Amino acid sequence: MSDAPAICARGLTKRYGQREVVRNLTLEIAAGSIFGFLGPNGSGKSTTIKMLCGLVAPTAGRAMVNGFDVVREDREVRRSIGYMSQSFSLYNDLTVAENLTFYGRAYSLGASRRRARSDAVMTLTGIRRYAGELAGNLSGGWKQRLALACALLHEPSVVFLDEPTAGIDPVARRDLWDLLFSLASRGMTLFVTTHYMDEAERCTALGYIDEGELVAWGTLTALRQLPGVTQPGTVRYRVTVENIMPAFAAAQRLGYVRDVTIFGRDLHCVVDEAVPPDRLHNDLAIAAGSIEALDRIEPSIEDVFVALTRARSAA
Amino acid sequence: MRASFDLTGFGAVLYKEFVHITRDRTTLFLALALPIVELIIFGYAVNLRVEHVAAAYLNEDRGAVSYRVLDALRASNQFDLVREAASRAELRRLIIGNHVKVAFDIPPHFSADVANRRGAALQVLVDGSDSNVAQPAYTAALAIGGALSAELGPPVTVVPSLVDVRARMLFNPSLRSANFFVPGLVGVIMQLITVFLMALSIVGEREAGTLDQLLVTPIGVTGLMLGKVLPYAAIGVVDFFAVLAAMVWIFGVPIAGSVGLLVVLAADFLIAALGLGLLISSVARNQVQALLMTFAATLPSILLSGFVFERDLMPAVLQWLGYAIPLTYFLEIVRGIVLRGAGLPELWPSITAMTILGLFLLTSSSMLFSRRSP
Repeated sequence: MSDAPAICARGLTKRYGQREVVRNLTLEIAAGSIFGFLGPNGSGKSTTIKMLCGLVAPTAGRAMVNGFDVVREDREVRRSIGYMSQSFSLYNDLTVAENLTFYGRAYSLGASRRRARSDAVMTLTGIRRYAGELAGNLSGGWKQRLALACALLHEPSVVFLDEPTAGIDPVARRDLWDLLFSLASRGMTLFVTTHYMDEAERCTALGYIDEGELVAWGTLTALRQLPGVTQPGTVRYRVTVENIMPAFAAAQRLGYVRDVTIFGRDLHCVVDEAVPPDRLHNDLAIAAGSIEALDRIEPSIEDVFVALTRARSAA
Repeated sequence: MRASFDLTGFGAVLYKEFVHITRDRTTLFLALALPIVELIIFGYAVNLRVEHVAAAYLNEDRGAVSYRVLDALRASNQFDLVREAASRAELRRLIIGNHVKVAFDIPPHFSADVANRRGAALQVLVDGSDSNVAQPAYTAALAIGGALSAELGPPVTVVPSLVDVRARMLFNPSLRSANFFVPGLVGVIMQLITVFLMALSIVGEREAGTLDQLLVTPIGVTGLMLGKVLPYAAIGVVDFFAVLAAMVWIFGVPIAGSVGLLVVLAADFLIAALGLGLLISSVARNQVQALLMTFAATLPSILLSGFVFERDLMPAVLQWLGYAIPLTYFLEIVRGIVLRGAGLPELWPSITAMTILGLFLLTSSSMLFSRRSP
């Protein structure tokens, strides 16, 4: 693997009439990384993926995948990428094995190579025991494995996965991620969109898109250092309390609390560095009933994106 | 974007389409059985031969000759004498009430007039509101009258006509409408089935989301199109032979010309029909649009191609529109070969036009099909 980025976009823009779905998107993704692409529904995630795969023509800007221009060298791009779309898009009336045969032929793999590769991806995804089953009869999790198997058949070096874990059960979700990690460890670059923060936490790099604009991208560590996320001179505490709403209201009234957000039974408070944690504990104790834990924490991914989105809407 | 000829993935698409088609037994059965069923139904329905037309009569003569006339009418296949009227007024009422289409009025002294060679007149009332029946019924009545007069007396040289016009029917001497309609139906049915199946094929994948997955592979547009077309072309060929066999053996329409030429030109027509289906499928964004477009293309094909209505009698604009329809040429070809034994020397203009139209439809659909969404 060279040092050249696997994916590189410069000013990528997609406009439908007056509506700008993706605006001036610039990013670089190193080979061998798992890039988590996050953002609310309709923020432009799928359109970005489709532009990078050559399915949607960009209105402006350019993008390179594996060193090939997605518009001018679309044929080379298609040979070197795998794509797993948001909804299951293989043939329900074909068996697992027939779907694999079709995609093997689509990539012009010779008969022996096709057999070897089908074998390999069936082993990798564990789908061999369903080889003779119609794809339409598989459960959601197995359909995703089949889709992944088809996407990996021609040994692409970059794979785009558009919400691969949407609508599948937690165990299948965990299994799929384990699979993705093993792929990345072999040098494959994965571009994954997701809504799950725990999945995002497992990515080596992240991007956050909101209303068509890439708000931030980079490693999690780098994102945490962003001035909009961690204001200089502040620290972040997680406070586990008994009565969440009164505690939240109380925290909002405290002058030294810069920001407060509810996460389940926890409050995440951004507090002036100078204020000792005991003071926060005392100030919240009455309203909260009792405080079960108070820890200093690093901003989570959710904290990062909440902060970035707020900073954007405030601007 | 490359609009070049890229056959990549042709084998893959062909493989997949054959699995689809063989797996969906119901659709396959319908695609193969429907044409024959349609041919039989339409073949009989559009039978314009006038037979067993309900007729009434009024016999005011009641002489020997009048009974011979009635016997002759009864003996013919054309008329069924279902009612005897008592008066002229009743005859009229029977026609107005649509109880009969034809009425024969035998006046008093009819037999005597025949005997005296004074020339007897027998009046035939025909319900002209149904022109399909009226004209043939009228002709049939004249024919029966003519035969009868020849039979009745020694040839009477009344007025030797200076110009003796005698028509002789070349081809289809029995004037059976099946001979005219059934070969045409072969073309119409082939078009119906293939355009429909083809039109739904690509747009169906667009709707199911499988098209995007297919388009991120190196499959070329040409490969995709040809891979999709070929299985349906195979169905079209099977349909063609089935319908042709039904034409010959069920409707007894013999093929006067070369069967081999007919088969080759049917394949040529299939290219045009599939091209039309493909064009619809490339342009339509969903299956409902594709269905409506197919419908929009089918009706003019049937009405303007000369399948039912004589194109020479249409306004010039409609005639010109007909030239844009592949079926127009195929009808000329199939009728030419089946009924008149025509060959290449007579048919080449139609063949050329149909081929050009077919290639145009195929290539334009490949070009209109955009690999990338706008």
